[in-house]
Amino acid sequence: MKHSDQHADRRLWIRSLLWGLLLVVCVMGIAHAEGLFRWLEPDARQVIYQRAQFYELLGRHLLVVGVAALVTILLGVGAGIAVTRKKGRDFLPLVAQLSSLGQTFPPVAVLALAVPVLGFGTLPIIMALMLYGLLPIVRNTLAGLHAVDEDIKMASRAMGMTPLQTLYQVELPLAAPVILAGIRTSVTINIATAALGATVGASNLGDPIIAGIINGNMAYVVQGALIIALLALTIDSLFEGLQGRLRQRLSSSQRLS
Amino acid sequence: MIELSQVSKRFGDETAVDDINLKVAKGKFCALVGTSGCGKSTTLRMINRLIERSSGDIILDGQALEAYDPVKLRRRIGYVIQSTGLFPHWTVARNIGLVPRLLKWSADDIQARVDELMALLGLPIEEFAHKYPHQLSGGQAQRVGVARALAADPDILLMDEPFGALDPITRIKLQDELASLQSRLHKTVVFVTHDMDEALKLADHLVVMRDGRIVQQGTPLALLQHPKDLFVESLLGGLERGLKQAALTRVKDHMSSLGPTLPSQYRISADFSLRQALSMMLRDHTDRLAVVDQHDVPIGELSLRKIVKEAQLEKGSMREA
Repeated sequence: MKHSDQHADRRLWIRSLLWGLLLVVCVMGIAHAEGLFRWLEPDARQVIYQRAQFYELLGRHLLVVGVAALVTILLGVGAGIAVTRKKGRDFLPLVAQLSSLGQTFPPVAVLALAVPVLGFGTLPIIMALMLYGLLPIVRNTLAGLHAVDEDIKMASRAMGMTPLQTLYQVELPLAAPVILAGIRTSVTINIATAALGATVGASNLGDPIIAGIINGNMAYVVQGALIIALLALTIDSLFEGLQGRLRQRLSSSQRLS
Repeated sequence: MIELSQVSKRFGDETAVDDINLKVAKGKFCALVGTSGCGKSTTLRMINRLIERSSGDIILDGQALEAYDPVKLRRRIGYVIQSTGLFPHWTVARNIGLVPRLLKWSADDIQARVDELMALLGLPIEEFAHKYPHQLSGGQAQRVGVARALAADPDILLMDEPFGALDPITRIKLQDELASLQSRLHKTVVFVTHDMDEALKLADHLVVMRDGRIVQQGTPLALLQHPKDLFVESLLGGLERGLKQAALTRVKDHMSSLGPTLPSQYRISADFSLRQALSMMLRDHTDRLAVVDQHDVPIGELSLRKIVKEAQLEKGSMREA
């Protein structure tokens, strides 16, 4: 059983390695694939997006998603923990509602509202991504923490663990797979959503797409979309590998009992 | 030593525990028995402050319970529950070493203590140390639960229906092990159960509870001989009471000295219970047994007529008193 688990684990990592390689090949190779894109847009003046290097766009894209994810994780997991403590329990409905409200706002609307306040650039898109990505993380943190067996929590208290020790040594490790699944959903969605940043002057992988739409150049659109898709697949499979490893470490109680 | 005086617990309008007075002397095994919802678990949890009482005093080793920091208090009181409450993401060894680690023992000391406890509870180290709770049977998991409770060598052990979820054979085995463990370790134990046989078997002091109140308390033998009311009597097994009482007395307390001839071809060890002796008489169609010591040497005889006569005398003396 253990052996086959490790086997499956390795397969997961190999898969994300392959997606990652494909991503690198595309980022480096698109500039040299003029022939291919010429076939897509025979009449255009240019078929390769030139205004920036693709690896620069990728870097900026990752930065925006990364910063948004980091803040969202801290906020989301933090809020989830806070409202499941004795003192914060009163705020549970409020936090649950606020986070789902965040997701009902279309990111485009958030951008439109944020630009007058925060100006053009990366800030409004980070703001939009945070609001949009908060719900899966908060929801899964709450679900994961609620799913920890009451008897296990009581036992940890009865053995003389402080509330903090119970949180870090018992509740969070047991809730980790569910929380991680929430983070995975949030980040994967936001990799695609971040492309919208190009509309408010945040230069990233959305640039070629927007430029392509404006100029009627399908080749640009495909280039941006292709890299975004590969990035999402790479990150998503990395998360899958991480989840597999967590499950294995927990030797989860759900498997045999 | 644990002393509860006039302790009550109310949840809103409901009184879960009502004016309880209870003393458990050091090294004694106290069993709280009653039907579900009678307040026995609540009583237990007030002792390690998992639940704070509404009124009354609890004194632990001469000090009021409030004088102890709740976290430190719990680290010196062992606690065992029916569902074990083992941490599913920790190995058996790590689960057992929990409290010593909280007390910041050195890694070597923890390791040594875990090994010692696993040996004490019959869990071979090579086989179990690295297993996870979900890989254990119910009986094995509860052994780990008991080991975890004993890890920091607490004076007091609280057990909340620890064997309630086990099959009858495993349950009896663990009861026997607990009894022999207790005869060596002499912990002050408060044990909650709804199984009267379990309580009779293990307890020095038996407390019968109903609707949050103590109906009767005393030694198991005292309760069997003089149940206070029908409720206690029915809990004690009604007509079976005589046999339950016999189970608590040793053959050697009822034997008479050996005559010139061996009274019977059937032999019974002096350390067996009177109940076992009676069962043997029924099985072998005899009213006399030869009592032997551990080397199988006859040391006395047991006669059914005499046992019955003794019981009559006792009853008579009771009436006079």
